[in-house]
Amino acid sequence: MNPFILSILLLSLGLGTTLTFASSHWLLAWMGLEISTLAIIPLMSQHHHPRAVEATTKYFITQAAAAALILFASTTNAWITGQWDINFDLHFFPASMLTMALALKMGLAPVHFWLPEVLQGLDLTTGLILSTWQKLAPFILMCQIMPVNSSLITFLGVTSTLVGGWGGLNQTQLRKILAYSSIAHLGWMILVMQFNQQLALLALIIYIPMTFSTFMIFKTNSSTTVNTLAASWAKTPALTAITPMILLSLGGLPPLSGFMPKWMILQELTKQDIPLTASIAALSALLSLYFYLRVSYAMTLTISPNNLNATTPWRLQTTASTLPLAISATISAMLLPLAPATLALLSL
Amino acid sequence: MLKILIPTLFLLPTTWLTSSKWLWPTALTQSMLIALGSITWLNNTTDTGWTALNSYIGTDPLSTPLLVLSCWLLPLMLLASQNHLSSEPINRQRMYITLLATLQLFLILAFGATEMIMFYVMFEATLIPTLLVITRWGNQTERLNAGTYFLFYTLAGSLPLLVALLMLQNNTGTLSLLIIPYAKPLLLMPFGSKIWWAACMIAFLVKMPLYGMHLWLPKAHVEAPVAGSMVLAAVLLKLGGYGMMRLMIVLDPLSKEMVYPFIVLALWGVIMTGSICLRQTDLKSLIAYSSVSHMGLVAGGILIQTPWGFTGALILMIAHGLASSALFCLANTNYERTHSRTMLLARGLQIALPLMTTWWFIASLANLALPPLPNLMGELMILTSLFNWSAWTLILTGIGTLITAAYSLYMFLMSQRGPLPQHMLALPPSYTREHLLMALHLIPLLLIILKPALLWGWFAC
Repeated sequence: MNPFILSILLLSLGLGTTLTFASSHWLLAWMGLEISTLAIIPLMSQHHHPRAVEATTKYFITQAAAAALILFASTTNAWITGQWDINFDLHFFPASMLTMALALKMGLAPVHFWLPEVLQGLDLTTGLILSTWQKLAPFILMCQIMPVNSSLITFLGVTSTLVGGWGGLNQTQLRKILAYSSIAHLGWMILVMQFNQQLALLALIIYIPMTFSTFMIFKTNSSTTVNTLAASWAKTPALTAITPMILLSLGGLPPLSGFMPKWMILQELTKQDIPLTASIAALSALLSLYFYLRVSYAMTLTISPNNLNATTPWRLQTTASTLPLAISATISAMLLPLAPATLALLSL
Repeated sequence: MLKILIPTLFLLPTTWLTSSKWLWPTALTQSMLIALGSITWLNNTTDTGWTALNSYIGTDPLSTPLLVLSCWLLPLMLLASQNHLSSEPINRQRMYITLLATLQLFLILAFGATEMIMFYVMFEATLIPTLLVITRWGNQTERLNAGTYFLFYTLAGSLPLLVALLMLQNNTGTLSLLIIPYAKPLLLMPFGSKIWWAACMIAFLVKMPLYGMHLWLPKAHVEAPVAGSMVLAAVLLKLGGYGMMRLMIVLDPLSKEMVYPFIVLALWGVIMTGSICLRQTDLKSLIAYSSVSHMGLVAGGILIQTPWGFTGALILMIAHGLASSALFCLANTNYERTHSRTMLLARGLQIALPLMTTWWFIASLANLALPPLPNLMGELMILTSLFNWSAWTLILTGIGTLITAAYSLYMFLMSQRGPLPQHMLALPPSYTREHLLMALHLIPLLLIILKPALLWGWFAC
């Protein structure tokens, strides 16, 4: 794409999210969300491939519907309570509407159906932006409207973790796997958001490097299905060795960083006296772990001298810098010993 | 503790920086020196019970035998793996040693942890290197399924444990093993506490394994390469026993009613898995089921919560660790020569490899708990404490002992005695490395006869 156009779109994307972050008025927050939606639309359809255009359309319709619902809910709240400030508590009815609208924006179950199909239609870089950057603005709004209808939030959280686990089990397309992974992780974040917003932020901050690493690994191998990953040992042997660590970190196994948010969230849920919900969420993480494990089996643990699953491609030197991947991979695998520092940075 | 931890950590640069000619000797020497250094931990003379104590880690008479066993096992694992890895590219060999060294590090931190969450994190952390060793370096396609079973059985048990530990922290305000014995009594609810007890124990019972939840073990032990089998049988199962012993102090009044079904399962498992051993055709599978059988006795000894039960459990854990690991090494010597684990194919080996028969004999005798080996001491103490609790258990444990003797003898006679088959041509004779490996397993076991008090844990008076 023309670099000027690309820079305008990326800067608008940044503007939209920053506007939502900085706003204390609901209309401004809504405007930020709309700007970021509009900015990503050309990025999604840049290749003019029918599948990409389909994904773009689906994304636009769902996000526009969600934004309209946010507008409606905030207007209703202004009508009932007389003010537009985000910092003031919402009336319960627009609060529930806002929660569902933001859930639709982020891709929480049971309004998650758009996410796998949209993500599947995008190329890996745009998919990365969708999975990480686009989650920030609705997440912040969700944090700010807490505490809201507790049973609704718990329902959204538990359903998301379960749907994220079960939905990903039958997938062979990597982007759909990452979509369901995103749904599951967002479920964890929502569960704790009603009690402790900083822990939800911690979960998001740990989730972003892990997802970034995974997308970058798939991009380096130019693979979009589980089968094509099997050739990665010939292209990038070092990356093949590291990927299971990133994937198991996504699954939340100690001693990798992905365990930190899960541990902290389970601790908070236990302190709040809902250990049953905590156990259900913990066990649902096992579902997601299964498909992460399957991807790492296909990629790393079945390499030669065992049977080859794919033809070996040419090993070409990459010209792209691998420094971002190196940094994010280190963060996603080795941050657990720094947990006290990380928590302190989030002023917990 | 740092005197052992830092050299273990620095095994990692050692493996990656030494030249390929010196890789194995250097790794072996360093791990052997660490093992010899770890033996000093057996000297527990403090009044508080905790030695080498700092804010995070400490050792006490319960953990030191297990720590020494894990440290001792690393050079043995390296010795055992040297042959089958020699055909791999050098970086894969380095990767393998790295995995074993990180596993060692996590094990030392797990046994030395004084805080339960640290123990939990290290307990789970041992899963990853073991999973990678089993699924990457195992030899058959079933290894993927084995890895999945291993990971998911253990995790399904241990995630409720995490929630249970966090509930305990909420209740008592701390999870430090130094403080918990003196903390205020637990606030117990009638039904919820029983679920909490089960959540605490199930993780360790799956790891031990208890009979109903043991399905992962034969798969994992059989599909793993020799170092994986060794560390699984010798140390990782004992993590379960160790965790149970640590948590029993906290769970006290609840355990009186809750242990019944688990003791029943444990004892029944001793007989069932023993009987399955008599019908096994796969040598490693036989040894794996024998591990389940012995650990069933250990589980019974721990669940009974008497001093003799705990002591017997600890002794049996160490003795079984050495004996079982020795048997897996012996099975591997067969596998490396014939590339088959079928007992029918590799029999009558006394004629071909007579010196190895000595080791087979001693290892089989250790497995069937021959006096004066510590295996018998452990089994007898557990037997006695169970008999004291209920005379009827003697039937189960007695029959269990008989069946253990039967299958150990069956294994020995099948592999060593009888005619050598016609197809066994050109077997390489036993290497000195293999003899050294077996000696390093069995000589400590024989030496323990002279001072078993080292392994008596808290009750060595």
